[in-house]
Amino acid sequence: MKTFYKLATSALTLALMMGVVAACASAQTAETAALANLAEGQGVIASNGNPQWDGLSEIVLIPGSALMGASSTTTALYLGFTGGSTVDIDNMVLYTTPRNSSMITATKKLTLNKVSDPSIALTSKTVCPVQPVSVTNPCIVRLDSIKATLSPLDDYYFVVYFSLDTNNETISGIGGSIDPGSLTGWALYGDQTRIGKDGALPSGNAGVGPYFLLYVTNQ
Amino acid sequence: MNTVYRFTTLTLIMLALAGGFSQKAAAAAKAENLVRGVVGPFASNSSWSGFSAISLIPGAALIPVTSTQTVFYLGFTAGATADISNMVLYTTARGSSTITAVTPVTLGGVSNPSINLASSTVCPIIEISNFNPCIVRLDPTKIVLSATSDYYLVVYFTPSDSNNGLIGATTPTIRLSSLMGWYVSSNQSQLTVGSPIPAGNSGSQPEFLMYVMTQ
Repeated sequence: MKTFYKLATSALTLALMMGVVAACASAQTAETAALANLAEGQGVIASNGNPQWDGLSEIVLIPGSALMGASSTTTALYLGFTGGSTVDIDNMVLYTTPRNSSMITATKKLTLNKVSDPSIALTSKTVCPVQPVSVTNPCIVRLDSIKATLSPLDDYYFVVYFSLDTNNETISGIGGSIDPGSLTGWALYGDQTRIGKDGALPSGNAGVGPYFLLYVTNQ
Repeated sequence: MNTVYRFTTLTLIMLALAGGFSQKAAAAAKAENLVRGVVGPFASNSSWSGFSAISLIPGAALIPVTSTQTVFYLGFTAGATADISNMVLYTTARGSSTITAVTPVTLGGVSNPSINLASSTVCPIIEISNFNPCIVRLDPTKIVLSATSDYYLVVYFTPSDSNNGLIGATTPTIRLSSLMGWYVSSNQSQLTVGSPIPAGNSGSQPEFLMYVMTQ
């Protein structure tokens, strides 16, 4: 009887512990399973005012003050293209600064298919299912998600630098939206993706919707 | 021996349950935005002696984040000392201008604080400016914001006060937040339930109020 009691006690203990662990795990899974916006993305696709992007960087502010409280351990960024054949990206990063500061405190490398200098074939149906790519049929490309939890106490800057080549002369992004959500961006000549820690972000934010960054989600 | 087994079992169960609860508590303790706050770069609006800064926090803009309190953050771009006579939060029904509740707002336990903007304890980066605004976190206000109400934070700056003649408010140059604000040249912080909210909202971004958060 004593052995039975011990076994029963052990089994009950194990079951309870497993139950608690499973409940915690499933709650976390449920939290991360649903697609959620981390900040309000662009609501309208436009294609206004695109410069020639060869040799230019786009800088996009994702303000901590605009984060909407979705719980997430990962962050996924989506780019939108409205024209061009091939996009040649030289580098992509996500800078962190304290809220309302221009001083960089951290840099995260961003990748597409695990490389930070991808070429994106906009004429490929695998990449852009609806051809040809246009304002009415934008090609939305999801970058690899990164292990990062965005904090409302920080600001984040997505920076993409387009290679100085002829392909990039004809590409265009979804920029100039009349409904930019909480994202703002600007273009700048030169490679702005290699600013080091404690370096200063270049100014230029005039409150205009980004050209390429469309959405910031949890996956 | 049986007693040992029972004690161990009970302890293990309590530990397991406590682990689950502490994770939830940790998740709830994180600072979150209750509405979309302001975004820089900032301009500055100076000379606030005798003025009330009024900021609307629309219920329609609330982010569905669970919170038992509300924390307001004020931004200063200039000045050495800010002398505040009173701070309150008015509640109205959504879209209404009739006050239904008045909640005191405090800093350091008082609703009429003097804020030493020249102190690096208060403002880590001295000297404060448009580029380095001093962000002051008010005491948590014990109010749960509701999507069916609107809220107005009113900060009244002491009149005939030379300190307040020199202070500057953060004035967002980019219109991205859910907050709005305006100012009135008199004390609007003593209004009572049933009174109307002072007119003047033209949809401008707020002065001083930067963020409304859970903590």
